[in-house]
Amino acid sequence: MRLSFTLLSTLLFAAPALAQEAAPAISEEAARSVMTHVVDEVIRPGYRDFAAQAGRVQEAMAALCATPSADHLESAKTAFADTARSWARIEIVRVGPVIEDNRFERILYYPDRKGTGLKQTQTLLTQQDPGATQASTLAGKSVGVQGLTALEYVLYGTDAEQLTKSANGFRCLYGQAVATNLQRVAGDLASQWDAPDGIQRAWKTPGPENPLYRNGHEALTEVLGLLVHGTETLRDQRLETFYKGGDNPVYPKQALFWRSGLTWVVFKENLEGMRRLVHASGLKDLLRPGQIWIFNSIDVYLASLSNKAAEINPNLEEAAKDTGQKNKLDALLADSRDLVLLYNDDLGGNLGLTAGFSFSDGD
Amino acid sequence: MWKSAALDRRAFMRAAGAGFLAALGPRSLYALERADAVFASGFRAPDGTYGIATVSERGEVIDRIALPARAHGLTYCPATGRGVAFARRPGTFAMIFDPAGRAAPVVIHSPEGRHYYGHGHFSPDGRLLYASENDFDGNRGMIGLYDATDGFRRIGEFDAQGIGTHDMTVSDDGRYLLIANGGIETHPDFGRTKLNLDHMEPSLVVLDAKTGHVVQRHTLPETLRQLSTRHLDIDGEGHVWFACQYEGSRNDLPPLAGYFSVGEDLTFLTLPEETTARLANYVGAIAINRRDAIVGLASPKGGAAVLVDAKTGRVIREDSVPDAAGAAPSTDGIAVSSYRGDLAGTRSALAWDQHMIRIA
Repeated sequence: MRLSFTLLSTLLFAAPALAQEAAPAISEEAARSVMTHVVDEVIRPGYRDFAAQAGRVQEAMAALCATPSADHLESAKTAFADTARSWARIEIVRVGPVIEDNRFERILYYPDRKGTGLKQTQTLLTQQDPGATQASTLAGKSVGVQGLTALEYVLYGTDAEQLTKSANGFRCLYGQAVATNLQRVAGDLASQWDAPDGIQRAWKTPGPENPLYRNGHEALTEVLGLLVHGTETLRDQRLETFYKGGDNPVYPKQALFWRSGLTWVVFKENLEGMRRLVHASGLKDLLRPGQIWIFNSIDVYLASLSNKAAEINPNLEEAAKDTGQKNKLDALLADSRDLVLLYNDDLGGNLGLTAGFSFSDGD
Repeated sequence: MWKSAALDRRAFMRAAGAGFLAALGPRSLYALERADAVFASGFRAPDGTYGIATVSERGEVIDRIALPARAHGLTYCPATGRGVAFARRPGTFAMIFDPAGRAAPVVIHSPEGRHYYGHGHFSPDGRLLYASENDFDGNRGMIGLYDATDGFRRIGEFDAQGIGTHDMTVSDDGRYLLIANGGIETHPDFGRTKLNLDHMEPSLVVLDAKTGHVVQRHTLPETLRQLSTRHLDIDGEGHVWFACQYEGSRNDLPPLAGYFSVGEDLTFLTLPEETTARLANYVGAIAINRRDAIVGLASPKGGAAVLVDAKTGRVIREDSVPDAAGAAPSTDGIAVSSYRGDLAGTRSALAWDQHMIRIA
């Protein structure tokens, strides 16, 4: 019986489209170095900053509730924006503790195509559900009323002017509870990643007994997956939720944070988080000198995406009517597709992590 | 006699007719004429576009059809000569194609509130197409029913009795639908993010194909609740083999495959620890060669392919196959493709996607 496998002898055949010099084997030590950089310079500082920003918005909401004023409202809005920006920088991490206990959705319930979270938030405000004014009981309610989109509605949505009218009003206390809940979830994330024997250890020490990665190759594939999936998410969940290009209808009010005008601010922070991950990881050092063009290209694309986003009107209804602005949106879609290929094929392929296109999430 | 949902290659060429053969380039025609077997697989081309290709057992591309986006699983009906490629989740299209080129491809779409999970199967007579689907707002797997005699009009659906439905197949007599519910919750709003890894609910379900009533539903023991049951194939004795992907600790050594017959309990395959480790707790594709009673398991994460004797469960062979993708019965074993474009000693410019089926 002959067994027809794709044997290693196939490596002798040319592969015109994917032709790449065989990537050098990455040592376990090099992989551990990358993972240590990622954990200590990106993930842990990222979650700690998010927890700190969530603490500030909690304090700002408390001040607003105790002493309503235009200044305190402005401070709360600023703290909210800083928190949303901080989250956007670490949002690229969609593995580990953040996807346990629905933490991700508790922080950001988006996309929300059917407006489920919005309707629940509006209902809660109308009915003045007392359980929503305490973080402990709020945590037991729908994730759609717990996170950043709910807090944005409190600060910018219909009747937000109530916030400055009376002390300790329901709307403000609910917003304060949302902020407290965010601080709790963010604190959980920071402490789980900071625990020396917790997930950080698993990330930093791939090996046969490791609960996550049996070798450096698997660990590095995870990091590369963050970049690929992060870019796909940027395109699918930050752009195509409201703009699919071509003659497709535009839905400005499906965009994230359109009320607060932060759509492009957080989009740029998503890119900044990605840039930090790329550079801090040290992946660049694993490439041959002749392959540095890959990193240069990644930088060019990240900068281009960020610069184009900065040029788009945060008033998306207006932007959608302007041909020049739509061209920029189309360019964002195209650039994000290219960036996925840069990460997946060029970076991944040349690191020897994958020459294919599935990141082993073959289903 | 090798028995499978495929035509033999000569019948395929007869069915294809002179028009199709004349349209093939000389290299493709040569590849088809000397092919012992013909496979179909999704691919990504060098320019980033996606499609389905027919390919010989030697890895020579015979023909290709463009797709609007990336495909995942495929199925083929020898009774009608039609194949279907299903969109990768959370995609919403499926393309019906005739690999012999007698009819133009037809694209259908999942209805509002549903997306395809990437797999499906025809009834033995080819009159019905079943597709695994996600009722994402209801968080329940469904089996969509499409009338293949009427333009693949959607005529109904059955509850798959689980979440994260993935692969499904049909018993040879057409009486039962056999369903792998991976147990992982996803929602198109969150892309491919796995939303419930800390409370997964995998199950294997047998439905009455006529009524959709539950005939049998296997859940997994608590210790294996993170074992996602995802892919299926049926051996020559009617055993339904399932292959799994484990979402728990990477240093666990869970069973990665098993089988059951309708009316019987699950039997897990006991592989040597080093084999389980080599498969990296992740089997991406399973295929059975009925004639030789061989089960093939391919793991992209482990970069490995393993052959198991279907009668004894004994490992026959293990090979290193970097980026192992699809698996399908070949004339004399199991063929395994790779994301790199490898198949049987040939590296194509096309990067093969996760699944491959044999059509002739």
